[in-house]
Amino acid sequence: MKIVTAFTGIVVIVTEPLSADPAHFLLYLALVTAVVSVTRLPVTYLVRRLLLVSPFILMAALFYPLSVFISRKEFFAANQEAILTAGAAILMKSLLAVLLLVLLSSTERFHRLLMALRRLRVPAIITTVSALLYRYIFIIADEALKSSRARDSRTPGKLRTGRIGVIGNQVAVIFLRSWERSRIVYQSMLSRGFSGEFPDMVDMHLRTADIVFPLLFIALLIAVRLII
Amino acid sequence: MPAGIITENLSFSYSPGRRVLKSVSLEIHPGEKFGIIGPSGSGKSTLLLHLNGILRGEEGSVSIGGITVNSKNLPDIRRLVGLVFQNPDDQLFNPTVEEDIAFGPLNFGLSPEDARSRVSEALAMMNLTGFEKLTPHHLSMGERKRVALATVLSMNPEVLAFDEPFSNLDPSMVMQLMEILRGMESTQVIVSQSVLPVIALCSRTAILKDGKIVAVDEPRTLVRSRDLMESCGLDMSLYRNYCRDL
Repeated sequence: MKIVTAFTGIVVIVTEPLSADPAHFLLYLALVTAVVSVTRLPVTYLVRRLLLVSPFILMAALFYPLSVFISRKEFFAANQEAILTAGAAILMKSLLAVLLLVLLSSTERFHRLLMALRRLRVPAIITTVSALLYRYIFIIADEALKSSRARDSRTPGKLRTGRIGVIGNQVAVIFLRSWERSRIVYQSMLSRGFSGEFPDMVDMHLRTADIVFPLLFIALLIAVRLII
Repeated sequence: MPAGIITENLSFSYSPGRRVLKSVSLEIHPGEKFGIIGPSGSGKSTLLLHLNGILRGEEGSVSIGGITVNSKNLPDIRRLVGLVFQNPDDQLFNPTVEEDIAFGPLNFGLSPEDARSRVSEALAMMNLTGFEKLTPHHLSMGERKRVALATVLSMNPEVLAFDEPFSNLDPSMVMQLMEILRGMESTQVIVSQSVLPVIALCSRTAILKDGKIVAVDEPRTLVRSRDLMESCGLDMSLYRNYCRDL
């Protein structure tokens, strides 16, 4: 239900016209903020995650007005306010979409999200590749940690010479080791009957609140979009 | 009655011209605890991967309980043979112990309820009851080794194949694992460089060197053949000298 709610929310917000009243976006923001307060996620945690993607959001928001300004200066001068409003709308849409995705990924464990996606009939190849990627991220991180410890144990203070060369070699070694370990992990999966799809044993029962609150949230978003 | 294993003239190479297994023929009896020892790079782990059909020989054959391993019967073979990898971190890839142990049973078509009861049984056998919801990678090495074994036991395999089960374990853990293995009725193939536990546990042992079976006999008889052991990189004089002192 969380996945359906988040993606419905994103669709409602993203399909808002660029010329929409800015008050709409403020109402969307208020609704999403209300959900944030219910989840009790620390604000600093959300801000940190938003900061990670902020360069992309800013780029998306700035590119539209900039491209009009560069290519059609007269048109820009005549419609300056509308174009800047459109830029602000892109900024708000991206921000709210990312915020909803951060909320989704932070309030549910990744493997449960994948199981839910499978039950929503998302192609198995996508969920399986995502599950493998998720697993292999930890293998790469583990290998990177070991490699860094080995380097640091033989590095008094800072690396003096050939820093880039050393890091380049290290990345290559991490890649090769991760490749090798991933291969063995896959063999281990095969040896236990893995045939391309992760089995599913988690019970997912919907309670009344699991249905009512998401539906209310979606209804309010649609009300802002269509009625207000 | 657990399944037996027969390999006949099994040969395999990872790259052309470099044979890792050279015409390996072995017969392991049903219910037997069989050791395979040999120096690093002798092909022990490669041989083990053939028992489960992960690798398939270029020449020769492997049969488990009378079923010759081929691409069509891999699910049956993998149900029969449980493979325990050397490094538990390679074996444990799910977010919780319960899901990792249930992975095999669910893949073989058991219902979630049946898989859960298999998880409980396997954890109880490994003295790990209560570990269901823990994250495998937060456990100690000894616990991870036992969880890795539980992931295979939950499939009720007739053959258990272990790759270096005693590595990275402290002496008390080695003893504990040996007791667990001793108590199991399944056919067991134990690949190890730790010769002493193999002597204590196995009724017969093969020495593998450069991809060839050099000798098959009772482990004590093999260990007494000092020249043979030394020529295979399995010199036991260090143990002998220290044991004498102790």
